[in-house]
Order: sequence, then structure tokens, then C-alpha cells
Amino acid sequence: MATPNTPRTEQPHSSHRLPINVDLFAVGIGLMLAVLIRFGVIHQISF
Amino acid sequence: MSTQTIPMPIAANSPASPAAPSDTTPPLKPVSLAAMLPGIVLLFSIGILGKILQHVLPVHLEYVLWAIILGLIVANSIGVARIFRPGIATYELWLKLGIVLVGARFLLQDVLHIGGLSLLLVAVELILSLSVMTLLGRIFKLPPKLTSLLAIGSSICGVTAIMAAQGAIEPDEEDTSTAIAAILTLGAIALFTFPAVGHMLHMSQQAYGMWAGLAVDNTAESVVTGALYGQDAGKWTVLAKTARSSFIGFVVLGYAVYWASQGKAAHVANKPLFLWQKFPKFILGFLAISVLATAGFFTKGQLGSLSSLSQWAFLPAFAGVGLRTNLKDLVGQGWRPLAVGVLGEIFIAIVTLGLVFWSYNHGVSR
Repeated sequence: MATPNTPRTEQPHSSHRLPINVDLFAVGIGLMLAVLIRFGVIHQISF
Repeated sequence: MSTQTIPMPIAANSPASPAAPSDTTPPLKPVSLAAMLPGIVLLFSIGILGKILQHVLPVHLEYVLWAIILGLIVANSIGVARIFRPGIATYELWLKLGIVLVGARFLLQDVLHIGGLSLLLVAVELILSLSVMTLLGRIFKLPPKLTSLLAIGSSICGVTAIMAAQGAIEPDEEDTSTAIAAILTLGAIALFTFPAVGHMLHMSQQAYGMWAGLAVDNTAESVVTGALYGQDAGKWTVLAKTARSSFIGFVVLGYAVYWASQGKAAHVANKPLFLWQKFPKFILGFLAISVLATAGFFTKGQLGSLSSLSQWAFLPAFAGVGLRTNLKDLVGQGWRPLAVGVLGEIFIAIVTLGLVFWSYNHGVSR
């Protein structure tokens, strides 16, 4: 096992935070996109 | 929506919980949208380049694999410049958005039938994996709290579960880093071994997807492992994985209560609140979209658009998996935690494979 002073795995994202709750933000965006597609604001999307 | 800021790795949780990161966690910097933009552009660029390479190169590799390979190459050669890191942290947002939108591809009866089956299989997997990881931790003489973190991470949903447990059982920061590194290493190994095993066993898309969702720990790696086998397999992986993730609160609470009883962690005052705070809320979005799809809220064409949007959302998430994997760090974590993880994961993979085959052979699954 690494010693306490060994530099640890630094994930690219490990020192940053978003000013949001990611789960609720993802749900909000997802539902908004669904509504926009349902009412024709966003038309056909392909991948 | 919560007005509090949270670090991306524990996105499923509210920091207001008793399991909020301990005081030993270094202070994290809030980031603005402008600061995230370069990293977001990088995520999409790598993902789109993966799509292009799939079509233009004579070697046929899925864009999913290209996105991971390109991310790995960047992260492990020139490295990820600091300016890109806040944006790369959004990979988890894209992942969860993709999971919410993929709900459009499920009828509610599928969710109830296969999701219910997944819950049963997850319950069996949980009991066995927690027991085996604890036993292996003792055999290899790992610190008890590191063993707990590895057991939690390997039985539920990898890094998210470990971060959720961090404040609840109050391990050394070193143990948390080691457990995360071990889980990420095992996830990287799964990306390349699971599809090979699936093809070798001629597994159907649904059976393989269920297996990847039940056996691969980290949500991102699990979804990628499923998608590497096929788009349909990826869909079933998401369902099995979300069923597994829904257990996170119960398992973390169990460990929190245990370590509190040992006098080595704080007591959990409000258990129902604790469970709600640990519950991954994006599952509710997935279910909501599935309910709307089942109720006929969308036309067939609109369902296709939602499905395409989910694939667009997964694209940067796949790139993010490669970009955040530092191979040098993964091999430098010490052999004992990795040995426990590898042995435990092999056990879990075999057991879940057996469970999936059993459910198909007995007509429990379709």
C-alpha cells in the first residue's frame, strides 16, 4: 500500500465542484428536453 | 434544486447529510460555466472524433471504444491541462442525463419486470460480494475501513458509493484514495474483458447488458462496458445498474451504523433522511421519462429523438472515462488492495454471470 505521503490518484475532476446538484440538474434538463421534443420545439434528432 | 455546491464524484448525495465529506477533505473550488467550457468542448471533440474514426478507418471499432482510447491517450501522454479539468468533471452530468433520457427506450412494464428481477439479483449479489470482500480484506490484512470501502464500492456503484461512505464511516483519506484507485483500475479492466467474455459465451444483448450492469462497479464504466457490446446491451445495462445503485443508501447506512457502534464514526441521527439523501435522484428522472413513454406522451419519432439525445449525452461521458483514467496512478496503488479487488471482482463476475444465466434458463427473463 502506498505511504501517506505518496502522491495519490488525482482525477482531472477531483478538485472542482459544480454549483449545482448534478442529479437534479440532469433530471431537470432531461425532462425539459423531453417536453421540448414533445411539443415540437426540438425537431427530429439523429445520432 | 439544492443551492449547495457539491463535488462531482458524490453527485448522488447532498452534502447536508451526516455523511458529508469529513473535515479532512481538502476544500473544493466552485467553478463557473466559463471555466467548464474548455473541458466540455474537449469531451465532445473526443467523442465526435471517435464517431468519425469509426466510419473512416478500415479497422472497425465502435465509437465508444474510440472515445475511451482517445481519452486514455490524451490523459496518459500529454496529460490533461488544468484549464480542461473543470469541464471534464461534467462527464458525470452527461452520464446521468443520458441515463434519464434512455428511459424513453423502456416501457414501464419492462422496467417493472426486468428492474424487479434486477433488484432480486442485486440483493443476492450484494450479500455475496459484501461477505467475500470482507473476508478477502481480512485474509490480506487490509485496514478494516479500507476493506469496508472496497466492499461498498464493489457491491454498489463504485466511486459514488465510496464517496457517499467516506463521511459516514470516517476512513483515512489514504484509504479512500486507495479504494477509488482500485475500483477505477477494476473498471478499466472490465471495459476490455467483459465484451470478450460476452462474445465468447454468445450472450444475447439483454443477458450481457444485465450482467454488465450487475457486475461492473462504477456507473460510467458499467454503462460503457454495456455499450461496447451493442446499443441494446447498453440499454439493459443502464436498467440493471440503476436498480443496483438504488441500494446505495441502505448499504452505506448499514456500514455507518456498524462503525458508530464501534465508536469509530458519528451516529446517524435521522435514518430516513439519510436514506433519501443517499438515494440517486437521477433514477427518478429515468422512471419519469419511462412512464411518459409508456403513457403514449411521445410519438414514435419523438421517442427516436429522445433515444438519439441519450446517445449524444453518453458521448462526452465515454470520453470522460478515458480522460480521467491515469494508468500510472492505477498501477501505483499497492498490490494488496488491488489483489482483494481483483479476486472479489472475479467472484462477483462469475456469480452474477451464473445468476443471469439461471434467470434466463428458468424463464424469469425474456
